[in-house]
Amino acid sequence: MIRLVKAELQKVFTTRMVWGMLALSLGFTAIGLVALSLLSGMQGAPPITDPDGVKNLFSQAGVGLVFAFVIGTLLITGEYRFQTITHTFLVTPRRQRVVAAKLVACAGVGLFFGAAGIALAFAVGVPALLIKGGSLSLIDGDVVRLCAGVVAAMALYTILGLALGSLLRNQVAAIVVGIGWVYVLENLLVALLPSVGKWLPGGAAQAVYGVSSPLGGDYLPAWGGAALLVGYALLFAVVASATTIRRDIT
Amino acid sequence: MAAIEIRNLSKSFGAVRAVDDVSFTVEAGTVTGFLGPNGAGKTTTLRSLLGLVTPDSGEALINGRGYTDLAAPLSEVGAVLEATSFHPGRTARNHLRVLCTAAGLPAARADQTLGQVGLADVAGKRVAGFSLGMRQRLALATALLGEPKILILDEPANGLDPAGIQWLRGFLRFLADDQGCTVLVSSHVLAEVEQTVDDVVIIAKGRLIRQGTLAELTSNGDRGVRVSGPEVERLRPRLEAAGATVECPESGVLLVHGAQPETVGQAALDELVVLSELVRQRSDLEQVFLELTGDPAAPPGPDPVPALTETPGGTS
Ligand SMILES: Nc1ncnc2c1ncn2[C@@H]1O[C@H](COP(=O)(O)OP(=O)(O)O)[C@@H](O)[C@H]1O
Ligand SMILES: [Mg+2]
Repeated sequence: MIRLVKAELQKVFTTRMVWGMLALSLGFTAIGLVALSLLSGMQGAPPITDPDGVKNLFSQAGVGLVFAFVIGTLLITGEYRFQTITHTFLVTPRRQRVVAAKLVACAGVGLFFGAAGIALAFAVGVPALLIKGGSLSLIDGDVVRLCAGVVAAMALYTILGLALGSLLRNQVAAIVVGIGWVYVLENLLVALLPSVGKWLPGGAAQAVYGVSSPLGGDYLPAWGGAALLVGYALLFAVVASATTIRRDIT
Repeated sequence: MAAIEIRNLSKSFGAVRAVDDVSFTVEAGTVTGFLGPNGAGKTTTLRSLLGLVTPDSGEALINGRGYTDLAAPLSEVGAVLEATSFHPGRTARNHLRVLCTAAGLPAARADQTLGQVGLADVAGKRVAGFSLGMRQRLALATALLGEPKILILDEPANGLDPAGIQWLRGFLRFLADDQGCTVLVSSHVLAEVEQTVDDVVIIAKGRLIRQGTLAELTSNGDRGVRVSGPEVERLRPRLEAAGATVECPESGVLLVHGAQPETVGQAALDELVVLSELVRQRSDLEQVFLELTGDPAAPPGPDPVPALTETPGGTS
């Protein structure tokens, strides 16, 4: 099983796409960090030096969720698009093992994206905080919890990509549907209908981050958000395996 | 035990019965041609054998077991399949390394097999720049990774230039003769494989037409010994006395059935007849193949013209 996970990670890291997506993810994080730091305290923008501001700042580590999602999508749709799925199943004819390996590999990729985002958040956030006259003691347990949430959300969205890709099989369709959901639909629901939105993966991620809703709606408690994320991951895992295991590969 | 056994295999895709109760075996150490026109069901049969397609009924076994039950499939059977490709952004070497990792084979096998198929120079190149022939060689390299004793190739000559086909023939014979491999190779063009195979399995429209040795198939097409020379007619009594039947399709030419070329030659020596030609006539193999598979693209034979087409204004 370990060697199958290694093989899946090797698939991800032997194409250039993963680095492009990581660059985009970090790019968005960087923009968020810089913008929040520069605008801090200006024209009614919340200062980064109060506890909520700090959380908001560090939550930028996870703004690139959608790029992790894309990598998850590619890990399965790429196999169909380039017909490498045949090789994959010839090596490992027990398909549930392939699905399991892909799920674990996706979690690993999410972890990697999350860790990279967090590293960047600290690299920019700590100096920004000091420059703005904040105290490092602001980086407390809440921030640690937030970082765990970023990693969990990244892993979940990568797995979500895998699940959606398994379902749709078409690379472009999966990416368009996924981005449309993450950037538009889900954001709208989370913001406008918090009572629904808090139950969605995006809402659950926000709950784990522990940041407050922009419109004042309430999220689940952090542990509830975490449980929900795990539940979604399990659901997606079931979707991914159910759609991959029985199909004829012709 | 047969290296490969297909037993009453059937598979439908919707209304299309792609494979219909097909059974055949491939003996260890032989090169078997799996022949049939396009759409005959070759790919479906081979993919069922490899666990990629689930048959509706019947079994397809490798060394007596289903593919999904093989502990180390890559070390038992290697496959080159149609409609298989590579991620264009990954290098040839990395493609093979990924498979080595998954199969638990040493990463060094990647470069070894690339060398075997003549791709050592482009091991570090992205597959995007590869020609069809190079991809076909890379596919062959994937099949060789686990040093399997059984190889299954689906239309491997597609996309190869004549030199590539020549190379492939030699390579398959090398695998069979020197490495003791069993090879099952499909093709819709008999001429592509007739120089390479020992046995043939012919299917058409999902049904098995015939299984046998290439010699059996071609002896069916034996059209006698053709002998020509100004005075060949003088051979007729001797040949007929030897039990042969003799036709004279044109003057100065005899067509002898039921006698070996040596018998005819001996007759010519005894009668002191000058010969300009002495040859065993075979019907064109491709023609035999077309007759057997009933390929609609085959040129019409001298059959009676169907009545329908003679009726003016008849529905056709
Ligand atoms: N995935 C599929 N869906 C529908 N029909 C298929 C599929 N695969 C094969 N077929 C049909 O099954 C028949 C046999 O196809 P195939 O096994 O590819 O033949 P061959 O390899 O001999 O050309 C053809 O009529 C083909 O159209
Ligand atoms: Mg085919």
